[in-house]
Amino acid sequence: MNHALTMEKRKGLRLSDLLVTILLSLVIGVVYHFWGSVYDLFKPLFFQADELVYGVWFLAPTLAMLLIRKPGVAILAEVAAAHVEIMFGSEWGIQLVLYSLVQGLAAELIFAVFRYRSFRMGTAAFAGAAAALGSLLVDVYYGYVTDYTLWMMLFKYALRIVSSAILAGYLAFALAKALEATGVTQLLRPVSKRDYEALDHD
Amino acid sequence: MIELLTPSRATILQRANPAFKLVLFIVLFLVTVQTRSIDFAINQAAVYTLLLFILGGFPVRKTLLIVLPFMLLFISSSSTMILFGKGDTLWWQWGLVRITEESFYRGIHLGFRSIAFAAEGLLFVSTTPSVKLFYALMQSFRLAPRYAYSFMASIRLLPMVWEEFLIRRQALQVRGARIRGKGLKGLAEHIRMYAVPLLSQSIRRAHRVAVAMEAKQFEGQGGRERTYFYPSRICWIDGIVLMLLVLASFAAYAAALHFPWLGITDVRYHA
Repeated sequence: MNHALTMEKRKGLRLSDLLVTILLSLVIGVVYHFWGSVYDLFKPLFFQADELVYGVWFLAPTLAMLLIRKPGVAILAEVAAAHVEIMFGSEWGIQLVLYSLVQGLAAELIFAVFRYRSFRMGTAAFAGAAAALGSLLVDVYYGYVTDYTLWMMLFKYALRIVSSAILAGYLAFALAKALEATGVTQLLRPVSKRDYEALDHD
Repeated sequence: MIELLTPSRATILQRANPAFKLVLFIVLFLVTVQTRSIDFAINQAAVYTLLLFILGGFPVRKTLLIVLPFMLLFISSSSTMILFGKGDTLWWQWGLVRITEESFYRGIHLGFRSIAFAAEGLLFVSTTPSVKLFYALMQSFRLAPRYAYSFMASIRLLPMVWEEFLIRRQALQVRGARIRGKGLKGLAEHIRMYAVPLLSQSIRRAHRVAVAMEAKQFEGQGGRERTYFYPSRICWIDGIVLMLLVLASFAAYAAALHFPWLGITDVRYHA
């Protein structure tokens, strides 16, 4: 227990936080890589239906943040997930790193606004939606999406934001809960002095 | 996947300092992002694809195989803009689809730019092993060792996760477990059966490895005293690479100025 307490004093990301975040994100990054085919499957369903599954690409920052709960994790997670695309030599490689930086930062901002204290489903959903907005920001600059006809742009991004809130928010939350049930989060967030003090008050 | 991308020839790009190369490619990337002229975009796509053939280090046939998806990339990145972009000179209309001259050229421009990005990215990726990149980032850019080693260790751990995935699948098959339900329910079932055990196991493993690495001072504060197994320096080869790439993008620009294909200098919509 003493060891855990001294570790608690050192703020910031420790090697184990980093390693867990990055490995988790790389695994999700592999999912990202193959998610492209799922995305293509949805295309013929109806017009812009592919946007409905877009949210999975924002899963890493919210899931990592819900598990590790430390500043900087969200942005690192999204960049690490994008790194898989570089390792696999995808044709989207470099652009995705740019996207991941903005998306990760957007998700991070939401958690920062709540001062890294709120890790509820709603917060995660907000973070997912923020990541979608971040991707819109890059799209505007990079893909001239403001030059789409207006209804088309609104429709496309409304679908994406909803999908992100559900998939990167709700799904990530459900996954985090399921992972908590396995007990692994005790490794990531060992009990702190405050937890012991809280016991005394009861 | 990674073996597929190991080049068979040693080119000058592979010998360049990875960190320096990264900066160089980010600059090239920003130049391409800033491109508004359709001719410059076409030329960049052509030049970088050519460089991929020459400096990528793959046999020509393999490079062709890598370049083949560029066509799909072109279609997927240009089609939406062609069909639904803003524009005044109407060419064809059918229901919601509205192809105009402006949207058509804007779409083509996006397509070529995507190819340019893809070629740039592949040129970097195919000539830069991850381990060397992180070593160079630590030494040249003072990236904190704990970040670099976390990445390097995670990349090594990733194949184990894949192996675990295969074992999990076999185990489920042996037990006769079947995914019930289709659509969303099936997806939830998949997540329960695969994602949770795989993710929790990889968290455990990452944590174990991290504890071992901390004990060995991998996260050490670095600084000047730290020594590295693979020293990474900047040398004359980097100068040549710099000149080569600057020349390539400059040639693309000059050719666009003097021998324009279509002569559209700004594809954005101006009301």
